[in-house]
Amino acid sequence: MNSKPTSGSTLTRFNDQVQDRTSAVISRIHVSHGAGRMVLLVLIAFTFFTALNPSVFLSLLNLQNIALASPEIGIIALAMMLAMLTGGIDLSLVSIANLSAIAMSTLYATVAADNPAMAEELMPVLILVGIAVGLVGGLINGFLISYVGITPILATLGTMQIYNGIAIAWTGGRTLYGSPESLTVIGQATVAGIPVLFVMFVLVAIAIGVVINKTPVGLKIQLQGANPIAARYSGINSHVVLMSTYVVAGLLGGLGGVFFLARNPTASADYGASYVLLVIVIAVLGGTNPNGGFATVSGVVLATLTLQIVSSGFTAIRLSSSEYAIAQGVILIVVMVADQVTWRRRRRRAPTRARVLASRT
Amino acid sequence: MTSPTSTYAQAPVLQVRDIVKTYGGVTALSGVSLDLVAGEVHCLAGENGCGKSTLIKIISGAEKPDSGEIIIDGIAHTAMNPSAAIKSGIQVIYQDFSLFPNLSVAENIVLTAAVAERKRIYSRRVSRPSAKAIVDELGLTLDLDADVVNLSVADKQLTAICRALVHDARIIVMDEPTTALTHTEVERLFALVETLRGRGVALMFVSHKLDEVLAVSQRVTILRSGKHVITSPSSEFDRRSIAKHMTGRDINDARVVSTLAADTPIVLDVEALGLRGAYTDISFALRRGEILGLTGLLGSGRTEIAESLFGASPAEQGTVRVDGEVVSLRSIDNAIAAGIGYVPEDRLSQGLFMEKSIADNMIAGSLDSHRTRWGGLDTGKVRATIQRLFDRLHIKAPNVSAPVRSLSGGNAQRVVLAKWLANKPKILMLNGPTVGVDVGSKEEILDILRGEAAGGMSIIVISDDAPELVASCHRVLVIRQGHLVHTLEAEDITVNTILERMAE
Ligand SMILES: Nc1ncnc2c1ncn2[C@@H]1O[C@H](COP(=O)(O)OP(=O)(O)OP(=O)(O)O)[C@@H](O)[C@H]1O
Ligand SMILES: [Mg+2]
Repeated sequence: MNSKPTSGSTLTRFNDQVQDRTSAVISRIHVSHGAGRMVLLVLIAFTFFTALNPSVFLSLLNLQNIALASPEIGIIALAMMLAMLTGGIDLSLVSIANLSAIAMSTLYATVAADNPAMAEELMPVLILVGIAVGLVGGLINGFLISYVGITPILATLGTMQIYNGIAIAWTGGRTLYGSPESLTVIGQATVAGIPVLFVMFVLVAIAIGVVINKTPVGLKIQLQGANPIAARYSGINSHVVLMSTYVVAGLLGGLGGVFFLARNPTASADYGASYVLLVIVIAVLGGTNPNGGFATVSGVVLATLTLQIVSSGFTAIRLSSSEYAIAQGVILIVVMVADQVTWRRRRRRAPTRARVLASRT
Repeated sequence: MTSPTSTYAQAPVLQVRDIVKTYGGVTALSGVSLDLVAGEVHCLAGENGCGKSTLIKIISGAEKPDSGEIIIDGIAHTAMNPSAAIKSGIQVIYQDFSLFPNLSVAENIVLTAAVAERKRIYSRRVSRPSAKAIVDELGLTLDLDADVVNLSVADKQLTAICRALVHDARIIVMDEPTTALTHTEVERLFALVETLRGRGVALMFVSHKLDEVLAVSQRVTILRSGKHVITSPSSEFDRRSIAKHMTGRDINDARVVSTLAADTPIVLDVEALGLRGAYTDISFALRRGEILGLTGLLGSGRTEIAESLFGASPAEQGTVRVDGEVVSLRSIDNAIAAGIGYVPEDRLSQGLFMEKSIADNMIAGSLDSHRTRWGGLDTGKVRATIQRLFDRLHIKAPNVSAPVRSLSGGNAQRVVLAKWLANKPKILMLNGPTVGVDVGSKEEILDILRGEAAGGMSIIVISDDAPELVASCHRVLVIRQGHLVHTLEAEDITVNTILERMAE
């Protein structure tokens, strides 16, 4: 390797190298700072509820419940994180998930009316149908955002209404019952005590982590979010990047619908209405910069767990649902305030320029 | 009366004493002192990253020093804060302008004044005339109602200058205010500086253009690696001696160009290129290994020609051939596929991802050529490319994972250059490749370009820095009002001819 002409002597070179290594390590710790904070939060939440009611909270059933409820929210939060990474947002994800669950349930019920055995065997096809619904939803979002050029928040607000409207019209506002036995079995199955759905969620998270950090398109997504103009001048095709981001987000939404149905053999248009806000909070809490360019998958996974632990902890200490609703609201706000404070502090550290850049489109 | 220890006729308006500033492990300033005196322009010179901007940020209160003091009118402060600095009559033109992109030019010019005076209501009617007055005084044709985000770099810079001058400041600090300006604007700015000096304003001026330093200042302070080297009246310096104090070695800006064989193939052939409102009937050819200069005044169309060849704002007429094949350059993708690269003019908004690491920035333009067979990033190859360019361009940073935001201006410019060298284009266009780069590094960057050209790359340098064109270009094209008016070759390429032909 070429050495700099200025660092002639072996000693200076050695010095340089030691300094390089140490600062590389330090900066790596800094990168995972978001994830580190989340580990701490998970531990705090866990200890807190264990202390309040150990017998219920620490029961295997409760722990499994946490692991069972996390995947469907977590997978949608990951999709939200992707959209935010490009500097956008996807409000239509929960509607996509519901539409996917409804499509699967309807198809199952239609076939089952004539031939229950065949409907049962249809399970893999149903999963593909659910994912395909997500794909179509994502394609429409991607098209509106990348080719038509509508702001993500408006485009997905619109499609959220449309997808939701379709779901209501389709179900007549009723809850559909019915899904293949085998899907429910998967939804309930555990490997070494860990729910299969949770394992699948972790695998999906790992896959997304690899995509955004170790593939060209992943880096392009990050760069597009960090500075769209510089991305353009670097030859990064924003159409392709945004399209693939929203398509993958849609796919994950569709997969979320599969998880909905696996956990609970019902589908309706208004399932998980509170998730829309929740996944935004999870994504931001997990270290996603809402302005784009920065996010960590591990942070988002841990943020999902934190909120799930808090939610099941409230059940364990037997608070009524109204008290729980109030408490959840408070927690959401506290989380947002805390996050606001750290963003502001970060901004103060990098004066003037950060703000100028942040408002740059 | 003169005090016995001071060499000045009057007490300094502002003094900094023994300022130390470190960022993490990096020492940006170690014990720097200097004085600003009313009616005097004090120049601060030094290599990229020697701490000039840091010192300015400390004076303006944007950064706090680790130790040392700032003395204004005899009162010592351990640190300033931005509003106190403005109240004591300090105005700063930052190197990165620090403008509000979504506000208009007029608003940008007057708003900080309104905020500093704690006016609660901003009145368009009252503020516009004062913005207009300063724009007229400088003889500029700035559109006061344009949004800053849509301005060219030069206009952004002019807006930042107007903003600092619109106040009745006692101390004006200019951090590289002329990087994007051409001769005419610089002369007008200097005329205004003379007027201000006559009114007793103390000025501090930073520039890498040593001729400007010598022309505008009465006193020069040179820093090297955060340390004070020398302060002397500017009459005691010349270009060579300033460069020597800055870098510690002799700088050679003589003309060095390779000889191109008569049968060298033509790589880029541009024929009758036209874009309404920008340029008309531009034809030229670029040969393999040639370095071609493209120069002209602001608004002459030189940048637009480059942007068209890069597909960023496609031409309406004409044909472009690369290696003899007609290529359609409707988009940036087309241009890159044809082997054309472009280092844009506005490095902050077009060239860099400020919050991302040096490594990410360097690899941003060549991600697709660093794939493994399975479509993933080839991390080994990526690391090798990044390390090679980091070493080759001598980027001054602790390591490649530092964010570009923490780099000095000249080092940030090298990162943009590295991004395109990583992509190995056939034809590389560079718009202001050494803007804000110190004399020593400029020589190095030109050498890198010569090396790339010798390796077969064809290069177009868009610049109005005449010495740089003279030092590196085989031929120089002069653009005036959208027309190609002169092609200078061989011994015609001198600083004087270029300046004359540009301005005729
Ligand atoms: N926010 C920051 N974080 C870390 N390091 C910084 C930061 N700002 C500046 N530095 C470092 O401090 C040193 C001095 O930087 P400064 O911007 O003052 O240089 P400069 O003399 O203005 O250079 P240039 O001529 O290139 O503008 C550089 O080594 C730079 O990398
Ligand atoms: Mg600087």
